[in-house]
Amino acid sequence: MFDIQEALKNIGPYVEEADDDLLVCRCEEVTKGEIRRAIHSGLLTIEELRRFLRCGMGLCQGQTCGSLTRRLVAKELHVPVTDIEVATSRSPMRPASMKTCGLDEKGGE
Amino acid sequence: MERITMHPILGESPEGKCVEFTCDGKKLEGYEGEPIASALRVNGIMVHRYTAKRHEPRGVFCAIGRCTDCVMIVDGIPNVRTCITPLKAGMVVQTQYGVSAKEEAK
Amino acid sequence: MKIEHKELIVIGAGPAGLSAAIEAASRGIQVTVYDENARPGGQLFKQIHKFFGSKEHHAKIRGFKIGDELLKEAHEKGVEVVLNATVMGMFAQKEITVMINDEVHHVKGDAILVATGASENMVNFRGWTLPGVIGAGAAQTMMNLHHIKPGERVLMLGTGNVGLVVSFQLLQAGCEVVALVDAAKNIGGYGVHAAKLARTGIPFYLSHTIKEAEGDDHVTGVTIAEVDDHFQFIEGTEKHFDVDTICVAVGLSPMAQLLKMDGVGMKDTRGGYVPDCDETGATSIPGIFAAGDVTGIEEASSAMIEGRMSGYAIAEYLGYMTKEEKDAKEEELDQSLDALRQGMFAPKNRGKEITKTEEDILISTNLLKHGFVADDEISRFPGFVHKAAIHPVIECTQNIPCNPCQSACHKGCISIGENMTSLPISVKESTCINCGMCVASCPGQAIFLVEEHEDEDYGLITMPYEFLPLPEVGDLGHALGRSGKALCEAEITQVRAPKSYDHTALVTMKVPYHYIDLARFYKKGDE
Repeated sequence: MFDIQEALKNIGPYVEEADDDLLVCRCEEVTKGEIRRAIHSGLLTIEELRRFLRCGMGLCQGQTCGSLTRRLVAKELHVPVTDIEVATSRSPMRPASMKTCGLDEKGGE
Repeated sequence: MERITMHPILGESPEGKCVEFTCDGKKLEGYEGEPIASALRVNGIMVHRYTAKRHEPRGVFCAIGRCTDCVMIVDGIPNVRTCITPLKAGMVVQTQYGVSAKEEAK
Repeated sequence: MKIEHKELIVIGAGPAGLSAAIEAASRGIQVTVYDENARPGGQLFKQIHKFFGSKEHHAKIRGFKIGDELLKEAHEKGVEVVLNATVMGMFAQKEITVMINDEVHHVKGDAILVATGASENMVNFRGWTLPGVIGAGAAQTMMNLHHIKPGERVLMLGTGNVGLVVSFQLLQAGCEVVALVDAAKNIGGYGVHAAKLARTGIPFYLSHTIKEAEGDDHVTGVTIAEVDDHFQFIEGTEKHFDVDTICVAVGLSPMAQLLKMDGVGMKDTRGGYVPDCDETGATSIPGIFAAGDVTGIEEASSAMIEGRMSGYAIAEYLGYMTKEEKDAKEEELDQSLDALRQGMFAPKNRGKEITKTEEDILISTNLLKHGFVADDEISRFPGFVHKAAIHPVIECTQNIPCNPCQSACHKGCISIGENMTSLPISVKESTCINCGMCVASCPGQAIFLVEEHEDEDYGLITMPYEFLPLPEVGDLGHALGRSGKALCEAEITQVRAPKSYDHTALVTMKVPYHYIDLARFYKKGDE
């Protein structure tokens, strides 16, 4: 894990890039620009970004964009990708209806 | 898009049982048990849904049920992954707009 | 809430999971394998090419046949394989939740093996969400499982083994591949895989990537452009292709979320974010094991060995095997696994620039840039010889762990020796009987039989051919060079496709003597 205080000092202002309108999270339709702007406003972890922007929180649960987001954060912070903590894994791993999740096998409560 | 009928390694493709289903009201045919997405592709349908925010078209992307981009409304249920859901006779398939069957005002 | 109990739970019925299940069940353990897919076998059933390696690694057998064998064995050993069973979560006390037919089952195991494999990496470019942009895995699934073409005209992004193998499969399915593109400077996968594409005429664009996928509601075209050392587009280098499909093959990542969820110790490696486990797959939590790609991306061949190792380790953990027995088995498998991890593409060589072979021969730079060994490079490799009588010419120029050609020839025409990564030597003194087994057994399709008739000014070239329709004797067309360029007229003189060749037909063409070192593919017609 990198030093957040140091990272905040060095991050600099958000500067628009030509491809900021590219989608990173396909499910929740979150763009590269939105993520970059959030990082520059001080949201430096995947967890924070997920809660703030919902990137990686859609139907697929970050299957596709997880590593893209991680790389993007690392790039903005000028740290190795491995310094960026990956998102927490939670059940259910695949889309399941609320009905299914709420009703365990054979009439569970 | 065509089916592969003869393959140099896999040989003759198994011929499925033809069943009817509808997509947005149009009568189509596909093989029973094949993924809904395959049947749609063979009928030339590539757009499965339009996204909620940007109203962009989406279709099959991973084809193994992970990316969830190919979801449609199947028999009234939204968010059904068509790439891994087997086709059944009489299925009612609809393009999904956001999470509903109706196009929202842009 | 009802909690079911199983002795060993295996998550994922791919090569690693099934191999582990087989070994564990052979020791008397009651094994249940859950897989979210409708069919077992993981990616094996999409892999229709012949495998590399040696006999113990199922070399020269096609992936889907290995899958059939594994499944058969699993059934014989009494392994329970539950399909359409999605493991949704993994929790303390070795408990999992499995969704089967919209019902959630709680299951506890005495041991759990996670063999969930990998997921595909992606890159985002303008238009990457358009229908028609698909993962390479999606293409494989459509063609080889569901028997439909993913598209008519395809551009492949990525020249690792997946990109190369899937491009070849696209050709076999009857699609056109317009180009292979990679932002890297060199082709990432095996040279032999690239060469069999290049000789059909497909161009490779290295140091290039996709600038934009075009189309309104599906892909109708793509623009690529060259990138500099910092992967920035170089203006004015754009190239456009009319395609209906863009295939993305930019690597795989271990799918280790279940392990992370369970609190298993994880680590970041070159191979991805993986559980911190030992050689047998034992994780930081006793009784929880991991095997196959989920522990780091490799080939199905290594996944099978890793799975077996985990199977033994689990047997020991559950008291079905002594430590001595397990250690002995582990050592044996370790050697087999180690053999696969040798050569230029070994995990330890990732990211290294290799300029010479183990034999101290300069490697072909053209192969890395354009996908084929240049005509003036090929003669320095030991598989290339001249001789009037029929003989194998082996265009295998990188050290990869693979040796089926050596055992395919009973006449001693091909020599690799003890070290299976050595380049095959075409032994001039031996007498080839034109059985064709070496050509058919080479997973890289890099062996040709050449017969030189200098006096009569012609030569006969026999090549592997895995496309339809097969040429017929008497057909007239053109011989193509290694680059896919038409060289000269050619006549088909023999076509062989016996069962023993396993769907690799051997096609012989007659070309003017001048072209015997150059002609490596055949195309019917005038073009």
